Amino acid sequence: MIGIEDCLSEAMSIPGALGAILVDHTSGMAVAGKGIPDPGRAAAGLSEAYRATLDGIAMASEERGFRIEDVIVTTGSAYHLVRPMEMMFDGPLLLCVQLDVERSNLALARRRLRTITDELVAS
Amino acid sequence: MAAPTLDVVLTGLAHDEATGSLRVGKEGTVYFSRGRVSYVECTATPGVEGLLGASGRISVTGVRHTRQEAGPGGDGGALLVDRGVLSRGELEFCMLSATLDAAFFLLTSRTVRTRFRENGAHWLGIHWFFDVPGLLRECARRRARLERAWPSAELDARPVTPLRQIPGTRALLTPLQWELLLAADSAATPVELARRLGRPAYSTLLAVRELGAAGLVVTGETAALPKRTPKAPAPPPAPPLAPSGKPGAAGSGPPQVNGDATDVNLLLRLRDALEAL
Repeated sequence: MIGIEDCLSEAMSIPGALGAILVDHTSGMAVAGKGIPDPGRAAAGLSEAYRATLDGIAMASEERGFRIEDVIVTTGSAYHLVRPMEMMFDGPLLLCVQLDVERSNLALARRRLRTITDELVAS
Repeated sequence: MAAPTLDVVLTGLAHDEATGSLRVGKEGTVYFSRGRVSYVECTATPGVEGLLGASGRISVTGVRHTRQEAGPGGDGGALLVDRGVLSRGELEFCMLSATLDAAFFLLTSRTVRTRFRENGAHWLGIHWFFDVPGLLRECARRRARLERAWPSAELDARPVTPLRQIPGTRALLTPLQWELLLAADSAATPVELARRLGRPAYSTLLAVRELGAAGLVVTGETAALPKRTPKAPAPPPAPPLAPSGKPGAAGSGPPQVNGDATDVNLLLRLRDALEAL
Protein backbone atom coordinates (compact mmCIF):
# COMPACT_ATOMS: atom_id res chain seq x y z
CA MET A 1 0.00 0.00 0.00
CA ILE A 2 1.35 3.40 -0.97
CA GLY A 3 0.62 7.06 -0.25
CA ILE A 4 0.38 10.04 -2.56
CA GLU A 5 4.09 10.89 -2.57
CA ASP A 6 5.15 7.26 -3.19
CA CYS A 7 2.64 7.03 -5.99
CA LEU A 8 4.35 9.93 -7.78
CA SER A 9 7.81 8.48 -7.19
CA GLU A 10 6.64 5.16 -8.63
CA ALA A 11 5.15 6.91 -11.65
CA MET A 12 8.46 8.74 -12.20
CA SER A 13 10.27 5.39 -12.14
CA ILE A 14 8.39 4.23 -15.26
CA PRO A 15 11.01 4.10 -18.06
CA GLY A 16 10.96 7.33 -20.07
CA ALA A 17 8.90 9.30 -17.51
CA LEU A 18 9.39 13.07 -17.80
CA GLY A 19 6.85 14.24 -15.26
CA ALA A 20 3.95 13.03 -13.13
CA ILE A 21 1.10 14.86 -11.48
CA LEU A 22 -1.97 14.00 -9.41
CA VAL A 23 -5.00 16.12 -10.22
CA ASP A 24 -8.29 16.45 -8.34
CA HIS A 25 -10.65 16.43 -11.29
CA THR A 26 -13.62 18.13 -9.60
CA SER A 27 -11.76 21.24 -8.54
CA GLY A 28 -8.97 21.05 -11.12
CA MET A 29 -6.38 21.26 -8.34
CA ALA A 30 -2.84 19.93 -8.54
CA VAL A 31 -2.58 17.65 -5.48
CA ALA A 32 1.12 16.96 -5.98
CA GLY A 33 3.55 16.78 -8.87
CA LYS A 34 7.08 15.80 -9.83
CA GLY A 35 9.01 17.04 -12.85
CA ILE A 36 6.17 19.40 -13.83
CA PRO A 37 7.31 23.06 -14.11
CA ASP A 38 3.89 24.66 -13.45
CA PRO A 39 1.63 22.14 -11.68
CA GLY A 40 -1.31 24.57 -11.36
CA ARG A 41 -1.44 25.18 -15.09
CA ALA A 42 -0.90 21.53 -15.95
CA ALA A 43 -3.68 20.47 -13.55
CA ALA A 44 -6.16 22.92 -15.03
CA GLY A 45 -5.34 21.80 -18.57
CA LEU A 46 -5.37 18.08 -17.85
CA SER A 47 -8.61 18.24 -15.96
CA GLU A 48 -10.26 20.15 -18.84
CA ALA A 49 -8.86 17.65 -21.34
CA TYR A 50 -10.24 14.76 -19.30
CA ARG A 51 -13.64 16.43 -18.97
CA ALA A 52 -13.83 17.02 -22.73
CA THR A 53 -12.84 13.39 -23.38
CA LEU A 54 -15.52 12.12 -21.00
CA ASP A 55 -18.25 14.28 -22.55
CA GLY A 56 -17.14 13.48 -26.09
CA ILE A 57 -16.97 9.74 -25.55
CA ALA A 58 -20.30 9.80 -23.71
CA MET A 59 -21.91 11.20 -26.86
CA ALA A 60 -20.00 8.97 -29.27
CA SER A 61 -20.20 5.67 -27.43
CA GLU A 62 -23.16 3.32 -27.41
CA GLU A 63 -21.66 1.46 -24.46
CA ARG A 64 -23.83 1.91 -21.41
CA GLY A 65 -22.31 3.13 -18.17
CA PHE A 66 -18.81 3.04 -19.61
CA ARG A 67 -15.74 3.94 -17.57
CA ILE A 68 -12.58 5.44 -18.92
CA GLU A 69 -9.64 3.20 -18.07
CA ASP A 70 -7.09 5.65 -19.35
CA VAL A 71 -6.60 8.38 -21.92
CA ILE A 72 -3.54 8.35 -24.16
CA VAL A 73 -2.51 11.36 -26.21
CA THR A 74 0.58 11.15 -28.43
CA THR A 75 2.32 14.36 -29.37
CA GLY A 76 5.52 14.81 -31.39
CA SER A 77 7.85 14.04 -28.53
CA ALA A 78 5.73 12.65 -25.69
CA TYR A 79 2.98 10.32 -24.60
CA HIS A 80 0.50 11.83 -22.16
CA LEU A 81 -1.23 9.17 -20.07
CA VAL A 82 -4.16 10.01 -17.82
CA ARG A 83 -5.57 7.39 -15.50
CA PRO A 84 -8.64 8.20 -13.39
CA MET A 85 -9.16 6.71 -9.93
CA GLU A 86 -12.60 6.75 -8.36
CA MET A 87 -12.29 7.96 -4.80
CA MET A 88 -14.88 7.05 -2.20
CA PHE A 89 -16.51 10.45 -1.78
CA ASP A 90 -15.23 12.72 -4.50
CA GLY A 91 -13.16 12.60 -7.56
CA PRO A 92 -12.01 11.09 -9.68
CA LEU A 93 -8.39 11.71 -8.91
CA LEU A 94 -6.29 11.70 -12.09
CA LEU A 95 -2.79 10.30 -12.23
CA CYS A 96 -1.13 11.87 -15.26
CA VAL A 97 2.27 10.92 -16.61
CA GLN A 98 4.30 12.40 -19.44
CA LEU A 99 6.66 9.99 -21.18
CA ASP A 100 9.44 10.52 -23.67
CA VAL A 101 8.20 8.97 -26.90
CA GLU A 102 11.69 7.72 -27.82
CA ARG A 103 12.59 6.14 -24.49
CA SER A 104 9.32 4.60 -23.32
CA ASN A 105 7.18 1.57 -23.97
CA LEU A 106 3.52 2.48 -24.02
CA ALA A 107 2.16 -0.97 -23.17
CA LEU A 108 4.50 -1.32 -20.22
CA ALA A 109 3.74 2.20 -19.01
CA ARG A 110 -0.02 1.55 -19.07
CA ARG A 111 0.41 -1.60 -17.01
CA ARG A 112 2.67 0.09 -14.50
CA LEU A 113 0.24 2.96 -14.17
CA ARG A 114 -2.59 0.55 -13.46
CA THR A 115 -0.56 -1.21 -10.77
CA ILE A 116 0.32 2.11 -9.12
CA THR A 117 -3.26 3.38 -9.02
CA ASP A 118 -4.49 0.02 -7.69
CA GLU A 119 -1.98 0.26 -4.86
CA LEU A 120 -2.94 3.84 -4.04
CA VAL A 121 -6.64 3.20 -3.56
CA ALA A 122 -6.69 -0.44 -2.47
CA SER A 123 -6.77 -1.12 1.24
CA MET B 1 -8.75 48.64 16.35
CA ALA B 2 -10.42 46.20 13.97
CA ALA B 3 -9.67 42.53 14.47
CA PRO B 4 -7.21 41.09 11.94
CA THR B 5 -8.69 38.98 9.17
CA LEU B 6 -8.29 35.22 9.30
CA ASP B 7 -5.65 35.05 6.56
CA VAL B 8 -3.51 37.53 8.53
CA VAL B 9 -3.86 35.39 11.69
CA LEU B 10 -2.94 32.24 9.74
CA THR B 11 0.05 33.91 8.13
CA GLY B 12 1.23 35.05 11.57
CA LEU B 13 1.01 31.53 13.00
CA ALA B 14 2.88 30.15 9.98
CA HIS B 15 5.58 32.75 10.55
CA ASP B 16 5.85 31.75 14.23
CA GLU B 17 6.05 28.07 13.23
CA ALA B 18 3.20 27.42 15.66
CA THR B 19 1.96 23.98 16.69
CA GLY B 20 -1.57 23.74 18.02
CA SER B 21 -5.16 24.51 17.15
CA LEU B 22 -6.82 27.79 16.27
CA ARG B 23 -10.53 28.10 17.03
CA VAL B 24 -12.28 30.42 14.61
CA GLY B 25 -15.42 31.69 16.36
CA LYS B 26 -17.91 28.85 16.47
CA GLU B 27 -17.34 28.05 12.82
CA GLY B 28 -14.29 25.86 12.90
CA THR B 29 -10.74 24.98 13.85
CA VAL B 30 -7.41 25.14 12.04
CA TYR B 31 -4.74 22.66 13.17
CA PHE B 32 -1.11 23.71 12.90
CA SER B 33 2.06 21.70 13.04
CA ARG B 34 5.31 23.68 12.97
CA GLY B 35 3.69 26.50 11.06
CA ARG B 36 2.04 24.31 8.48
CA VAL B 37 -1.66 23.47 8.35
CA SER B 38 -2.37 19.79 8.89
CA TYR B 39 -6.17 19.87 9.07
CA VAL B 40 -9.11 22.29 9.04
CA GLU B 41 -12.62 21.72 10.34
CA CYS B 42 -15.64 23.85 9.55
CA THR B 43 -19.21 23.39 10.79
CA ALA B 44 -20.56 24.07 7.30
CA THR B 45 -18.64 21.27 5.58
CA PRO B 46 -18.48 17.51 6.17
CA GLY B 47 -15.22 16.54 7.91
CA VAL B 48 -13.35 13.29 7.40
CA GLU B 49 -15.74 11.66 9.90
CA GLY B 50 -18.75 12.69 7.80
CA LEU B 51 -17.15 11.66 4.50
CA LEU B 52 -16.15 8.27 5.91
CA GLY B 53 -19.60 7.70 7.42
CA ALA B 54 -21.34 8.52 4.14
CA SER B 55 -18.99 6.30 2.15
CA GLY B 56 -20.37 3.27 3.98
CA ARG B 57 -16.88 2.01 4.81
CA ILE B 58 -17.35 2.55 8.53
CA SER B 59 -20.33 3.44 10.73
CA VAL B 60 -20.59 6.61 12.77
CA THR B 61 -20.18 4.48 15.92
CA GLY B 62 -17.13 2.83 14.38
CA VAL B 63 -15.58 6.25 13.87
CA ARG B 64 -16.39 7.24 17.46
CA HIS B 65 -14.81 4.05 18.84
CA THR B 66 -11.66 4.61 16.80
CA ARG B 67 -11.53 8.16 18.05
CA GLN B 68 -11.74 7.03 21.68
CA GLU B 69 -9.14 4.37 21.09
CA ALA B 70 -6.73 6.81 19.48
CA GLY B 71 -7.03 9.11 22.51
CA PRO B 72 -5.49 12.57 22.77
CA GLY B 73 -2.35 12.96 20.70
CA GLY B 74 -2.96 9.60 19.02
CA ASP B 75 -3.06 8.73 15.36
CA GLY B 76 -6.63 7.68 14.55
CA GLY B 77 -5.92 7.79 10.83
CA ALA B 78 -3.24 5.11 11.11
CA LEU B 79 -5.67 2.95 13.13
CA LEU B 80 -8.27 3.22 10.35
CA VAL B 81 -5.67 2.27 7.73
CA ASP B 82 -4.50 -0.70 9.83
CA ARG B 83 -8.07 -1.95 10.03
CA GLY B 84 -8.47 -1.77 6.28
CA VAL B 85 -11.21 0.87 6.41
CA LEU B 86 -9.32 2.83 3.78
CA SER B 87 -5.91 2.86 2.14
CA ARG B 88 -3.14 5.29 3.01
CA GLY B 89 -3.66 7.09 -0.29
CA GLU B 90 -7.36 7.41 0.43
CA LEU B 91 -6.73 8.71 3.96
CA GLU B 92 -4.33 11.35 2.66
CA PHE B 93 -6.71 12.39 -0.08
CA CYS B 94 -9.66 12.39 2.33
CA MET B 95 -7.84 14.65 4.79
CA LEU B 96 -6.52 17.04 2.18
CA SER B 97 -9.89 17.23 0.51
CA ALA B 98 -11.76 17.88 3.78
CA THR B 99 -9.13 20.45 4.78
CA LEU B 100 -9.45 22.45 1.56
CA ASP B 101 -13.22 22.23 1.69
CA ALA B 102 -13.33 23.54 5.27
CA ALA B 103 -10.71 26.22 4.62
CA PHE B 104 -12.67 27.51 1.65
CA PHE B 105 -15.75 28.16 3.78
CA LEU B 106 -13.91 29.23 6.93
CA LEU B 107 -12.01 31.92 5.05
CA THR B 108 -15.27 33.48 3.87
CA SER B 109 -16.79 33.62 7.36
CA ARG B 110 -17.24 37.03 8.93
CA THR B 111 -16.22 35.94 12.41
CA VAL B 112 -12.59 36.51 13.07
CA ARG B 113 -12.65 35.99 16.85
CA THR B 114 -9.90 33.45 17.15
CA ARG B 115 -8.26 31.63 20.03
CA PHE B 116 -5.03 29.66 19.71
CA ARG B 117 -4.27 26.68 21.91
CA GLU B 118 -0.75 25.27 21.96
CA ASN B 119 -0.25 21.61 21.14
CA GLY B 120 -3.85 20.80 20.29
CA ALA B 121 -3.87 18.03 17.70
CA HIS B 122 -6.61 16.40 15.69
CA TRP B 123 -7.50 12.81 16.61
CA LEU B 124 -6.83 11.55 13.06
CA GLY B 125 -3.18 12.55 13.34
CA ILE B 126 -1.13 14.29 10.68
CA HIS B 127 -1.23 12.86 7.17
CA TRP B 128 -0.92 15.82 4.85
CA PHE B 129 0.46 19.35 5.08
CA PHE B 130 -0.36 22.67 3.50
CA ASP B 131 1.77 25.74 3.80
CA VAL B 132 -0.40 28.79 4.55
CA PRO B 133 0.33 30.75 1.34
CA GLY B 134 -0.45 27.61 -0.69
CA LEU B 135 -3.73 27.11 1.17
CA LEU B 136 -4.78 30.75 0.65
CA ARG B 137 -3.83 30.54 -3.03
CA GLU B 138 -5.85 27.39 -3.53
CA CYS B 139 -8.91 28.94 -1.86
CA ALA B 140 -8.62 31.95 -4.19
CA ARG B 141 -8.24 29.65 -7.19
CA ARG B 142 -11.37 27.76 -6.14
CA ARG B 143 -13.32 31.00 -5.84
CA ALA B 144 -12.23 31.94 -9.35
CA ARG B 145 -13.20 28.46 -10.59
CA LEU B 146 -16.73 28.96 -9.18
CA GLU B 147 -17.01 32.32 -10.91
CA ARG B 148 -15.98 30.72 -14.19
CA ALA B 149 -18.68 28.08 -13.90
CA TRP B 150 -21.47 30.58 -13.21
CA PRO B 151 -20.58 34.15 -12.30
CA SER B 152 -23.12 34.72 -9.55
CA ALA B 153 -23.39 33.62 -5.93
CA GLU B 154 -27.19 33.55 -6.10
CA LEU B 155 -27.37 29.74 -6.30
CA ASP B 156 -24.98 29.18 -3.38
CA ALA B 157 -27.48 29.83 -0.59
CA ARG B 158 -30.77 29.13 -2.35
CA PRO B 159 -32.60 25.78 -2.15
CA VAL B 160 -31.67 23.65 -5.15
CA THR B 161 -34.75 23.36 -7.37
CA PRO B 162 -34.42 21.33 -10.56
CA LEU B 163 -36.43 22.50 -13.56
CA ARG B 164 -39.27 20.14 -14.47
CA GLN B 165 -38.08 19.89 -18.07
CA ILE B 166 -34.63 20.25 -19.54
CA PRO B 167 -34.17 23.17 -21.90
CA GLY B 168 -32.34 21.25 -24.62
CA THR B 169 -32.73 17.82 -26.09
CA ARG B 170 -30.24 16.06 -23.82
CA ALA B 171 -28.26 16.76 -20.69
CA LEU B 172 -24.86 15.45 -19.63
CA LEU B 173 -24.46 15.07 -15.89
CA THR B 174 -21.59 14.19 -13.61
CA PRO B 175 -22.27 11.54 -10.94
CA LEU B 176 -22.47 14.25 -8.26
CA GLN B 177 -24.90 16.33 -10.32
CA TRP B 178 -27.14 13.29 -10.73
CA GLU B 179 -27.10 12.64 -6.98
CA LEU B 180 -27.85 16.30 -6.31
CA LEU B 181 -30.83 16.39 -8.65
CA LEU B 182 -32.22 13.26 -7.03
CA ALA B 183 -31.70 14.61 -3.51
CA ALA B 184 -32.91 18.15 -4.25
CA ASP B 185 -36.20 18.82 -2.48
CA SER B 186 -36.51 22.54 -3.25
CA ALA B 187 -35.79 23.21 0.44
CA ALA B 188 -32.15 22.19 0.99
CA THR B 189 -29.33 24.54 -0.03
CA PRO B 190 -26.20 23.17 -1.76
CA VAL B 191 -24.28 23.07 1.53
CA GLU B 192 -27.10 21.19 3.28
CA LEU B 193 -27.24 18.70 0.42
CA ALA B 194 -23.47 18.22 0.67
CA ARG B 195 -23.79 17.24 4.33
CA ARG B 196 -26.70 14.94 3.57
CA LEU B 197 -24.82 13.18 0.76
CA GLY B 198 -21.44 13.19 2.49
CA ARG B 199 -19.83 15.08 -0.37
CA PRO B 200 -17.44 18.02 -0.12
CA ALA B 201 -19.41 21.27 0.06
CA TYR B 202 -17.21 23.00 -2.50
CA SER B 203 -17.74 20.25 -5.09
CA THR B 204 -21.46 20.55 -4.46
CA LEU B 205 -21.43 24.32 -4.88
CA LEU B 206 -19.52 23.94 -8.12
CA ALA B 207 -21.86 21.23 -9.38
CA VAL B 208 -24.90 23.40 -8.61
CA ARG B 209 -23.41 26.41 -10.38
CA GLU B 210 -22.69 24.20 -13.40
CA LEU B 211 -26.28 22.98 -13.28
CA GLY B 212 -27.33 26.63 -13.24
CA ALA B 213 -25.14 27.37 -16.24
CA ALA B 214 -26.63 24.38 -18.07
CA GLY B 215 -30.12 25.70 -17.27
CA LEU B 216 -31.16 22.62 -15.29
CA VAL B 217 -32.01 24.29 -11.96
CA VAL B 218 -34.16 27.28 -11.15
CA THR B 219 -32.03 30.43 -11.16
CA GLY B 220 -32.72 34.08 -10.30
CA GLU B 221 -34.31 34.82 -13.65
CA THR B 222 -36.98 32.22 -13.18
CA ALA B 223 -37.31 32.26 -9.41
CA ALA B 224 -37.65 36.04 -9.11
CA LEU B 225 -40.92 36.00 -10.99
CA PRO B 226 -43.26 34.54 -8.34
CA LYS B 227 -42.21 37.24 -5.87
CA ARG B 228 -45.21 39.34 -6.85
CA THR B 229 -47.41 37.35 -4.42
CA PRO B 230 -46.77 39.55 -1.35
CA LYS B 231 -48.26 42.58 -3.12
CA ALA B 232 -51.73 41.78 -1.72
CA PRO B 233 -52.07 44.18 1.24
CA ALA B 234 -54.60 42.14 3.19
CA PRO B 235 -55.58 38.51 2.79
CA PRO B 236 -58.91 38.14 1.02
CA PRO B 237 -61.71 36.74 3.18
CA ALA B 238 -61.80 33.52 1.15
CA PRO B 239 -58.98 32.57 -1.19
CA PRO B 240 -60.27 31.92 -4.71
CA LEU B 241 -58.34 28.69 -4.98
CA ALA B 242 -57.90 27.20 -1.53
CA PRO B 243 -55.07 24.70 -1.64
CA SER B 244 -56.36 21.31 -0.76
CA GLY B 245 -54.43 19.22 1.71
CA LYS B 246 -52.30 20.66 4.49
CA PRO B 247 -53.80 23.78 6.05
CA GLY B 248 -51.44 26.66 6.55
CA ALA B 249 -49.15 25.60 3.75
CA ALA B 250 -50.41 28.31 1.41
CA GLY B 251 -47.51 30.66 2.11
CA SER B 252 -44.81 28.19 1.19
CA GLY B 253 -46.54 26.51 -1.74
CA PRO B 254 -46.27 27.49 -5.38
CA PRO B 255 -47.88 30.77 -6.41
CA GLN B 256 -51.55 30.45 -7.16
CA VAL B 257 -52.47 30.84 -10.81
CA ASN B 258 -55.93 32.10 -11.70
CA GLY B 259 -55.57 33.08 -15.32
CA ASP B 260 -55.52 36.86 -14.94
CA ALA B 261 -53.33 39.09 -17.10
CA THR B 262 -50.38 39.11 -14.68
CA ASP B 263 -50.20 35.32 -14.72
CA VAL B 264 -50.25 35.18 -18.50
CA ASN B 265 -47.57 37.83 -18.45
CA LEU B 266 -45.54 35.73 -16.02
CA LEU B 267 -45.83 32.68 -18.24
CA LEU B 268 -44.66 34.69 -21.24
CA ARG B 269 -41.66 35.99 -19.32
CA LEU B 270 -40.91 32.49 -18.10
CA ARG B 271 -41.03 31.19 -21.66
CA ASP B 272 -38.74 33.99 -22.84
CA ALA B 273 -36.29 33.29 -20.03
CA LEU B 274 -36.20 29.58 -20.87
CA GLU B 275 -35.74 30.27 -24.56
CA ALA B 276 -32.90 32.64 -23.77
CA LEU B 277 -30.97 29.89 -21.97
